[in-house]
Amino acid sequence: MRKPLSLVCLLGISLFAAAQGLQAPAKSPAGELVTATTSGSGEGTFYVVGPGHVSKTKIQLGSEVQVKGSELRSAGDYILLACSTSSCSEARVFVEPAQPEKISFLLHPSRVPISQPNAINGVSVVMDPYRNLVTAPSTVTFQVSTKDGPGASAPLKTHNGIAWTRLSSGPKEGPIEIQATIGEAKETRVVQQVASDPCNLHASVQTADGRLILQTDPVRDCKGNSLPDGTIVTFTKVDKGGRSMVDAPIKKSIARAEMPYQGAATISVASGVTLGNEIRVGGGR
Amino acid sequence: MKVRLLAATFVFGLIFSLAPGKSAKADSLQPSVQLDVSSMGPREIEDLTEKKIARDYAAAWKTLIAAMDQNRIGLLNDYFTGFAKTEFIGAIKDQAVTGVHRRFEDRGHKLQGIFYAQDGGVMQLRDTAQYDVQVFDGDRLLYTQPTTATYVVLMTPAADRWMVRLLQQEPPQ
Repeated sequence: MRKPLSLVCLLGISLFAAAQGLQAPAKSPAGELVTATTSGSGEGTFYVVGPGHVSKTKIQLGSEVQVKGSELRSAGDYILLACSTSSCSEARVFVEPAQPEKISFLLHPSRVPISQPNAINGVSVVMDPYRNLVTAPSTVTFQVSTKDGPGASAPLKTHNGIAWTRLSSGPKEGPIEIQATIGEAKETRVVQQVASDPCNLHASVQTADGRLILQTDPVRDCKGNSLPDGTIVTFTKVDKGGRSMVDAPIKKSIARAEMPYQGAATISVASGVTLGNEIRVGGGR
Repeated sequence: MKVRLLAATFVFGLIFSLAPGKSAKADSLQPSVQLDVSSMGPREIEDLTEKKIARDYAAAWKTLIAAMDQNRIGLLNDYFTGFAKTEFIGAIKDQAVTGVHRRFEDRGHKLQGIFYAQDGGVMQLRDTAQYDVQVFDGDRLLYTQPTTATYVVLMTPAADRWMVRLLQQEPPQ
């Protein structure tokens, strides 16, 4: 089935080629005007068939036809056709990406624990003004800034339009800005550096009105950074009724919870992979 | 000239008579995709992801071919996003306005992995695609050409599939 179609296609092409001529440059930068020269005479129709645009206009065969830059913005192969009522002639123009002018910057994650090696991944994609990927090598600079000012910067060559980097998080909590730059184009992303796992997690308990009031000391990591609000601390109580647990989010460095008091109990505290102290109530501390 | 016209009419007629069968084939079969990830990095690709990439890229071409032939923008929703989707929507809208449509007979894709981000958020590939392309104005065949083209491709993960974010043809070598 395939071979007959191919033969038919080839026969069709040879007929088209014999019908008329259409001349146009073989390549052109994106967004630039292209002039095509048609042959023949009388009224005709001119088609531009590209990856992101198609147009059809009436023309006088034998005249020049200008294809506006706005029709040639997407990089790729464009088929130009000048057709009379009986046949078409063709030309192909390859539209190449223009100069780099935009940058897409993907940064992951948006929150990262402090002092983690290669924990931040940045990928920049270099584009021209029309959002075509610029595959020719160019240089992207990644600049890291903290609240104390600009830090390290690293210029990197793109490969196939992409430059990527891996960064380690710093020792202090707080936001860091990472900027990817090419020429005048800049994209900035912010990564929130947060405290690492809790260190020396410690809780205390008070009894009041048949309840246990549980509260941690300020929860910090081993470098003294407060854990962010919302981090979950789990209190576990074991008493004559069995085991019960309650999750409490940290608010302003401290997690609080209440549990019913039903006699002697052992209470433990944990957050993430960190276990805290154990407290006995009702049987002496 | 009359002989040429007659011959052209005969050829067009023959192509039209073959075309519906080809179109039906394109609707039912997934294009063939061979994926080579041997030189991709920095992240290593998992077996399951490799299979999904090949399957989803084939499905993307299948929907693109149908969308370009039938001028149906909605077909792009399943496997295209970002720049690629915007670009092809523009082309299909123009096609619908002008009465033009494009028919591809897909003859397969050799897909080579180039870059897979460390966080798994984006993958870049290069596709050497072979297809026959035909351009129609209504029912009139204007152009037909067997083509071998290379494309640079960006794919990003969505909830249950990989989406084509950029599909850009590279200059012929």
